[in-house]
Amino acid sequence: MPPYARITALAALGLVTLAALAGASPPAAVARPATAAAAAPPAGDQAPAEVFKSTRTYDEVALPVRLRIPALKVDAKIEKLGLQQDGAIAVPATTDIAGWYEYGPRPGQPGPAVILGHVDSQAGPGIFFDLYRARPGTVIRVDRADGSSATYTITQVTKVPKVQFPTDLVYAPTLDPTLRLVTCGGSFDRSRRSYRDNVIAFATPA
Amino acid sequence: MRIPGHGRLWRALPLLCAGLLLVAPTAAPAVEPVRYQAAPSAADLAIEFEALLGQHSVLAADLMRSRIRGDDDFVQAANAALGKNTTAMTNLVSQMFGKAAGDQFSPMWSEHIVDLFSYAGALAAQDAAAQADARKELVEYEQKLGDFFAAASHGRLSQKAARAAIVEHVGHLTAQADAYAAKDYTGADEMYRMGYQHTYDLGLTLANALLPAADRATLQQPLWRLRSQLGKLLAEHAALVEDLTRAAVTRSPDFAASGQMINGNTKDLAAAIDTLFGAAAAKQFQSLWADHVDQLVGYASAEASGDMTKEDQTKAAMADIEKRMGAFLSGATGKRISTTDLTAALQKHDMMLMKHADAYASKDYVTAHDVAYDTYQQMFDLARTMADAFGASVAAKLPHGGAQTGYGGMAAVVEKH
Repeated sequence: MPPYARITALAALGLVTLAALAGASPPAAVARPATAAAAAPPAGDQAPAEVFKSTRTYDEVALPVRLRIPALKVDAKIEKLGLQQDGAIAVPATTDIAGWYEYGPRPGQPGPAVILGHVDSQAGPGIFFDLYRARPGTVIRVDRADGSSATYTITQVTKVPKVQFPTDLVYAPTLDPTLRLVTCGGSFDRSRRSYRDNVIAFATPA
Repeated sequence: MRIPGHGRLWRALPLLCAGLLLVAPTAAPAVEPVRYQAAPSAADLAIEFEALLGQHSVLAADLMRSRIRGDDDFVQAANAALGKNTTAMTNLVSQMFGKAAGDQFSPMWSEHIVDLFSYAGALAAQDAAAQADARKELVEYEQKLGDFFAAASHGRLSQKAARAAIVEHVGHLTAQADAYAAKDYTGADEMYRMGYQHTYDLGLTLANALLPAADRATLQQPLWRLRSQLGKLLAEHAALVEDLTRAAVTRSPDFAASGQMINGNTKDLAAAIDTLFGAAAAKQFQSLWADHVDQLVGYASAEASGDMTKEDQTKAAMADIEKRMGAFLSGATGKRISTTDLTAALQKHDMMLMKHADAYASKDYVTAHDVAYDTYQQMFDLARTMADAFGASVAAKLPHGGAQTGYGGMAAVVEKH
């Protein structure tokens, strides 16, 4: 008889025992809970519950200040990014710095933090020129203003048409402490002066 | 708290415990008719499974602690609640993974509760040999249940990983019992929280291993993750605030540690609000939430001292907090849920928690457990409603389209990437 079946049989026996004890007082050998009477504070003292105050602070995560991806030779300052007037995300002012989407989570906070970097300038490569090369396991480190840092590893790199940008997967709120890196890729639309695709690296805490 | 001379009794009590577990499946699960009026999706069932697993961890820890205290009335009520929880889980396992899986799961799951009870009994009796026996039984169970899940996953969950997950679950429960028996309440409560969080998340691990690919993908969608995660935090709040008010009502020595536990949950909730709505909103939320917890503790404390005036004062304060919190949360949802509805939900939450404290104070442990069970489910349900509204509120403000992060200077090279 497998153990779980044996226990089931024992349990059936337990029902009989329980029925026999129904309505009976607790066996003498079993003590009453040592709670109110035994644990009450001495007269005149305040019980801990009477002076209890809930915490009114939480561990805030500092702002990101620097992005490092050693495998891609990225070591760049981070600036804040908001939204443009048309609702699109703003982009870093120059191609040698990264930008963090400030209306989303900070790196290390619960939720998806998003950092953008340019793939190129009009004359040469930007800091995320090689992002497409990143392989699963590539380490990312984000330094924060208070001297702490958050470390991630890339799990996946994808290229998607900008017209089908997966807003939900990149920005939508969860409490998973993840990081997304975004840059441009694909063919260049010379009439619009814009790449047609975005390259997105998804990363999780190391 | 130690009980000399009852070494024989604790050996018999597992049989009672198991008997109650068998009784429980015949009882109608109180929450299901309401929750499953529409046919639930696999993802619905999976996050409900997570919630029930988390609840199991809390109930099992409470059962073990009451056994260590020698509080038999509480033991029996906790065991009945565990039986109800096991029945609900078995139903879910059957719906998600098939009736055969449910039939196998139920007795194995019940067995580990009996083994945990035996372990706590051995701790109470300070019987090292019995403790070793119980641990041996638990190891046997861990392997068996791990193997069951690994086999059901058809290779998606290795035997090693499955066993490790179950070992960790049992490890949290035995460790919190060890610490509780040694009066290390801070250590016990750290394990209590870790156990809850791990066991809740175990539901997703199992769902990811056992469900078809399409359902697994659904569970990874941001909305489903938020439902699951907010449910974890808010249902935990219900369990922990009840633990705290029980300690306040009885002025038990673990009150301070329990206070640290609820503070940890409150911090996590504030951090979640920060993620969703920013630091200023998080601070406003935390202030209101802290007031809510403080007034509940105040109510329980007044009950312990028989101070009716203070009880009335805390009730009035709670009513005010419900309105302010309702207005805050409604604003956070962009009025997707009205202040009136949220205030009513919070009022119900407070009333249930006060009823729980009342029942516990009068040693009506059956009612206390029934109310606690429903309060946990109510908060899990409310979390889902709020997760949907929060998600929609945040989504309305997200950036549109892709990012213009290139100027074309290296287009000839980039186009070959």
